[in-house]
Amino acid sequence: MSRILTMARAGREALDWEMERRDEIFVLGEDVYNFGGIFGTADGFGAKYGPERVINTPISETGFIGMAAGAAMAGMHPVIDLAYIDFIGVCYNVLLNTASKTHYMSAGQVRVPMTLMIGTGGGYNNAAQHSQALHATVAHIPGVKVVYPSNAYDAKGMMHAALRDPNFVIYLTHKGTAGVGFMGPPIKTTLSEVPEEPYTVPFGKIAIPREGSDVTIVGLGMSVHESLKAADELAKEGISAQVVDLRCLSPLDRDGLFAAVSKTGRLVVADEDYLSYGVSGEVIASVVERDPRVLRSAPVRVCTPDIPIPFSRSMEQAILPLAGRIAEAARTAVKGGA
Amino acid sequence: MPLTAEMRREMYRQMVRSRAFDDAVIGLYWVGKTPIFAFANGPLPGELHCSNGAEPVGAGVCAALDADDMITADHRPHHVAIARGVDIVKMTAELLGKKTGLSQGKGGHMHIYDTAVNFASSGIIAEGMGPAAGMALARRLQKRPGVAVTFLGEGAANQGAFHEVLNLVGVMKLPFVAVVQDNEWGVSTSKKESTAIARNSDRAGAYGLAGEYVDSNDPDDIYLAAERAMTRARTSGGGTILELRTARLAGHFMGDQQAYIPEQMKQSDPIPPYRAKLIRDGVLTEGTAAEIDAAATAEIAAAVQQAMDAPYPDASEAFDHVFAMGDA
Amino acid sequence: MTEVRVPLDMWAEDDKTGSIVVWLYPDGAAVKEGDLIAEILVEKTTLELYAPATGTLQISVEPEVVIDKGQLVANIV
Repeated sequence: MSRILTMARAGREALDWEMERRDEIFVLGEDVYNFGGIFGTADGFGAKYGPERVINTPISETGFIGMAAGAAMAGMHPVIDLAYIDFIGVCYNVLLNTASKTHYMSAGQVRVPMTLMIGTGGGYNNAAQHSQALHATVAHIPGVKVVYPSNAYDAKGMMHAALRDPNFVIYLTHKGTAGVGFMGPPIKTTLSEVPEEPYTVPFGKIAIPREGSDVTIVGLGMSVHESLKAADELAKEGISAQVVDLRCLSPLDRDGLFAAVSKTGRLVVADEDYLSYGVSGEVIASVVERDPRVLRSAPVRVCTPDIPIPFSRSMEQAILPLAGRIAEAARTAVKGGA
Repeated sequence: MPLTAEMRREMYRQMVRSRAFDDAVIGLYWVGKTPIFAFANGPLPGELHCSNGAEPVGAGVCAALDADDMITADHRPHHVAIARGVDIVKMTAELLGKKTGLSQGKGGHMHIYDTAVNFASSGIIAEGMGPAAGMALARRLQKRPGVAVTFLGEGAANQGAFHEVLNLVGVMKLPFVAVVQDNEWGVSTSKKESTAIARNSDRAGAYGLAGEYVDSNDPDDIYLAAERAMTRARTSGGGTILELRTARLAGHFMGDQQAYIPEQMKQSDPIPPYRAKLIRDGVLTEGTAAEIDAAATAEIAAAVQQAMDAPYPDASEAFDHVFAMGDA
Repeated sequence: MTEVRVPLDMWAEDDKTGSIVVWLYPDGAAVKEGDLIAEILVEKTTLELYAPATGTLQISVEPEVVIDKGQLVANIV
């Protein structure tokens, strides 16, 4: 049996491997040099690569993410650490109008190969400005690839793939899945046996971490793990739940999704992002616009409702899409089906 | 207003209250977080950014404010909130996520709002800038008195919002003071590493504002500088960048080991020297100082007990307050 | 057999305790001398425990319980 890694270690291993071999890769962001990034994305890199290639920036996201885009256009591959996705509000223009659109507007003359690592998600009482999921807000932008690994194996393979991609890639990690010290012990299902040699996990392919026949639960990021917990609970009641990990939002594996849902005929989507105008609706639309007859019961969404994330545990735990709510939705989907 | 003995006693009292508050919440923060540290555990969950070392800023600046003046603070708001007179019992309950908190458990420690004393805070860096300028503008349009004072760190002075808003303040001659708290560190990044010039107050000239730097972390000096800035704002409507050297003794947030801080940059506690100074000046005696210290500790202990005893909000309350009531 | 103990110099303060956050190899796995085998958390700092020998890892202390410096946490046989 080979060694087991946390997601943070696995992602770092890929970044380190590529950085050792490719001079065009450099890291920039707040607190990456001394601190290794708030969520450990570049732990130890400052000492290894020095301040030229691990650049501590001021708190100037518009400035340094814009700079990253320019460095990418000029032949580098910047890797940016943005600890909290809530902060995209400060620098959204670079994402929305520059990094994502330059290749298209220049008819392919100008490439913007850069990787933006962002931490997402709540569940640890950090209130409305540091707990949002917001993956739909970035996945909605044409011209950006968005990946969202949920386990260490994918974290490494998708990091290698992102660093070899000639495009702007947003690499999301739910803070609670990363396996970094201050978020508590790592969730068991985020840990994987990870080969020491490099490998890529291609974008645009779902994974099926658990097979089942009665209902398909589609999740991403933390919701994959809550869905797996829900599936354990459902198994005790004789309900066999298949769990799908989207793991890449753009491009979205609509074929794989359709095939998985076709197998059970019942669909639950678990998504920590806000309910409305999000990935949950996109998943359902992707299935039913291909063939609504594949569903034997109405699809059910389990999301964060359209409210800011409350601070207090009693409220936050009730509004997140946790295993109990997901299992309940699966029961509803199964009961409602023919 | 010249600095009186009474004002200095009061500034000392506010510093001690703030320290007692932070020490108490730090103690509470570690409850439930061993052996495995996790932000989510214990009676005081989430990130916690304490103000130990910055008390002179809150005490000194707030002593120069009137009831009409308005404050926006940042992710490290305790020392300012306490000196401004934010309800400390309700603030303690808010940190614990209780129903009796200032925001009924919705905000937590980075998001402190108390309209009774015109106080607001935001956890997004430099996000107090625009709203403060807007508050100043509103008062002008309403023909009411009031200066807007925003508190931010030296790290925040590199955000776009800082520069955009200072230009607006300069152009519009708004009654505005930006209090830049220079504790030398933005999380692990030193000011030298992040800022092209030594003093942000020197940037004032670029925006048609006044700039002043106070390097003592002594509330007497801070008060006098703040009083000059407030007078400028009240009389001519001109803005000021008031940069104050201060300290960050409890790290960026709880659990920050601060291994990145070299020995020669270790900061010192501003409270003991101010206490000694007031005793030397005959403003306090050892006895009266000890009384103030004991009263603060007792006040905070009572607030913590009340907060611990208070109920959590019901889960259904998460859905309240998304929108204000009433339709057009 | 080689004992795997928490090094006495792993952290400076004698009054602090730690906890294993995660074993990076399962019980019974083959490990090489120098492999990173566990993460140990002391307050908010993650520290790394390395295998002192090559062999089969036999874990004796599970994650999330208090451990002290010098404590035996596994054997390598």
